[in-house]
Amino acid sequence: MKSKDQEYKEIFLAEALENHEELNRLMTVLEKKPGDTKSVNAIFRITHTLKGNAAGMGFKNVADFAHVLEDLFGEVRDGKLSLDDDMFGSLFKAIDVLGALINAVKDDGKVSFRGIKTKLEVMLKSVQQEGQDKATAEKPLEEKLQQPAPKPKRGATSKGNKKAKVTPTRSSKRKPVSQGKAVIDKKSAEKTKNVPAESVAEKVDPGVENLDQVDDTKIAFSDLVQVPVRKLDNLLNLVGELVIERDRIISANSARINANEYARLNRISSDLQYSVMDVRLVQVGFLFNKFHRVVRDAASHEKKKVTLNLEGTETEIDRNILQIISDSLIHLIRNAIGHGVETPEERKKAGKPEEGSITLSAFSESDAVIIEIKDDGRGIDAAKVREKAIKQGLISTEDARHMADNDIILMIFEPGFSTMDQVTAISGRGVGMDVVKKALDSIGGNVSVRTEPGIGSTFSLRLPSSMAVKGTLLFELDKETYAIPLSYTEAVVSLYKPDIHKVSNGLIATYLGNTISVVFLSDLFALKAGESVYDKKVLHHSYDHLDPGEKLDIVIVSYNDRTIGFVVDKLLQQKEIVEKPLMKPIDQVKIISGVTIMGNGHVCLVFNVAAICNMVFAKSFSNKNAMSHH
Amino acid sequence: MSDKIELNTDKTAATEQQSTETQQLIVFRLGEEEYGLYIDQIKEVVLTPNITKMPQTPGYVKGVANIRGNIIGIIDLEEKFGIKEATTTEQANRESNYTLVVESDEFKVGILVKEVPNTLSVNPADMEHSVNVVHDNSVNSDYIQGIVKLKGKLIILIDIFKVLNEQELETVNSAGVGTN
Repeated sequence: MKSKDQEYKEIFLAEALENHEELNRLMTVLEKKPGDTKSVNAIFRITHTLKGNAAGMGFKNVADFAHVLEDLFGEVRDGKLSLDDDMFGSLFKAIDVLGALINAVKDDGKVSFRGIKTKLEVMLKSVQQEGQDKATAEKPLEEKLQQPAPKPKRGATSKGNKKAKVTPTRSSKRKPVSQGKAVIDKKSAEKTKNVPAESVAEKVDPGVENLDQVDDTKIAFSDLVQVPVRKLDNLLNLVGELVIERDRIISANSARINANEYARLNRISSDLQYSVMDVRLVQVGFLFNKFHRVVRDAASHEKKKVTLNLEGTETEIDRNILQIISDSLIHLIRNAIGHGVETPEERKKAGKPEEGSITLSAFSESDAVIIEIKDDGRGIDAAKVREKAIKQGLISTEDARHMADNDIILMIFEPGFSTMDQVTAISGRGVGMDVVKKALDSIGGNVSVRTEPGIGSTFSLRLPSSMAVKGTLLFELDKETYAIPLSYTEAVVSLYKPDIHKVSNGLIATYLGNTISVVFLSDLFALKAGESVYDKKVLHHSYDHLDPGEKLDIVIVSYNDRTIGFVVDKLLQQKEIVEKPLMKPIDQVKIISGVTIMGNGHVCLVFNVAAICNMVFAKSFSNKNAMSHH
Repeated sequence: MSDKIELNTDKTAATEQQSTETQQLIVFRLGEEEYGLYIDQIKEVVLTPNITKMPQTPGYVKGVANIRGNIIGIIDLEEKFGIKEATTTEQANRESNYTLVVESDEFKVGILVKEVPNTLSVNPADMEHSVNVVHDNSVNSDYIQGIVKLKGKLIILIDIFKVLNEQELETVNSAGVGTN
């Protein structure tokens, strides 16, 4: 994993250097136009990002230094501090030192920075001090006039520095404006004195001297090239087209040319495809590390004690997938803190440690990545969920009685569901969990829940590791070829008519000892405008016209813990496909997630298993409910 | 050309300014009538590729096809306008020879036609914009932009994007899937 660490360090450096360069540019803009709020905001943002990134990577020096800069520009942004030439001088030096610090990360070099950092801190303190003084002095008018503000500060900073610094060389260059606000000077000077005078004396100068090193500016070139994701997406699309074209040519010439002739073409294009996919992979740790803050904030808001553990952070996943699920993960984590983890008192009573724990783990499983959010809280109370689901009209009372606890718990992913009696800021608004489901559906993922009362719950997200290539099973239905993603398919079975039974409006069969729903896809596809799956007999149509001797090919799919068997006309083969999205206006068809182009140039539709399952299951709940209300 | 200019002089100054530019139309036959589209709405005319049936779409959407790597919806306007009886995708695959690809910023669709469409330069003076037509409920009534009368021919000028408003596709579809 060391090489990966190295890679991330490189990425950090590339980003940091770019940030640094941008800071330099913005500072020069700002110097020319001191009142430019846009630049100030941009600088503030960049220092903030830099701080965050550096802290995430564990480069404390850079993080601390960027932090001071961030605070300082925060004050500038809030209009509490206005910059003058003198301060620009210091700030430019500070940014140079920041650059040196970033470079030091690369070669583990040593850069003294405390001097300049102290100087910035003094600036900052004097501003804060001034704010307090003003408040006590009660001169609101003066506060409104921003102009007079810089003068005392100039005095303050240079004065403060003069006192802090034993060697007066630098400050003597400065205009010694020392009139007025002696109080502030003293105070700030006192503050700086808390830093041992000796160390300041020692460190200020090296900090400044270090600038000489920085001064003979070398233009640093990073070993990394930053590429916008958009370009990568484009590259991936092109590779996809190439693969499709390759298949087309091979199948067009299959009669005349031996398939071995294409072996090299096959290999090169596959390698190319996987290389491009690889470029888009990032470690989940990148995202996971951002959750420390989410957990802290949510926990302190809920007045709970929670620690976050990360596991498998080096697992790799497509960057776009990570982006799509990031909100879902935030929801799940907040939810675990809001609903799962108990208050410290409750935990004590239950004999658990006061501090709850949330474990975020990731691991690869064949071509999927599993991300799990596990808490050691109270678990999900199926009875409560059932009650709530009935109350909110998601299911009818009779249905609720028949449904297994596992099915009931899945109701939390329905829109508008919330078990929290009181609405809190972070959870309980009834939004969130259905968002998780939607996000997962959109990328062909799956979510399942395991929960044990009093012990905790685990939410398990199954994600494709790449969006570029999809493993699919091709089948034929009504003379057309369709693809169904392997990520949802469990098995393929053959059944005969007597194995399938009519129950209510649907059909069921037995698979591995479990009762599953069976749907003839031809019935689903024959639906005309205005008809719906729960119109009487719609799903029985093909079954009624079936010859008992006919063997039926059934694809068993499982989606969010629900299993369903799709009857197809004929199973063809397994194939890796490059999926293209549908274009407007036909993208409204939800049961088709996209298309792929076959070797013969024909279009093959890709099934959206999630949408079909939602259509057959979840919607039938609401329908039954609607009917019971009549 | 000369009679057109004569007509032009009768019009107001405003239309005269417009009418200095002739409009290019693409004219194609649907049923017994000729229909026209402004040429700038049309991207290309291609031989109809194989159409793949699309479930849960209105009947006049024949399916999707691969046109130069773009997957676009294929529409039968004769069916949409009620000119002929509903057909299946297989029939469409057998019968329709050309596809007019129309494109806007928002979407791209193909329109099935049986003959190669013609281009036609039309003087705006030959276009009648306010036409009183009896409509049925199934279509958005303002899709007819006008009637062009030229050399004894009558061409119905349509705004294809009003014909295919997305909302309609959406409502038809969600009715099929069931409301949430």
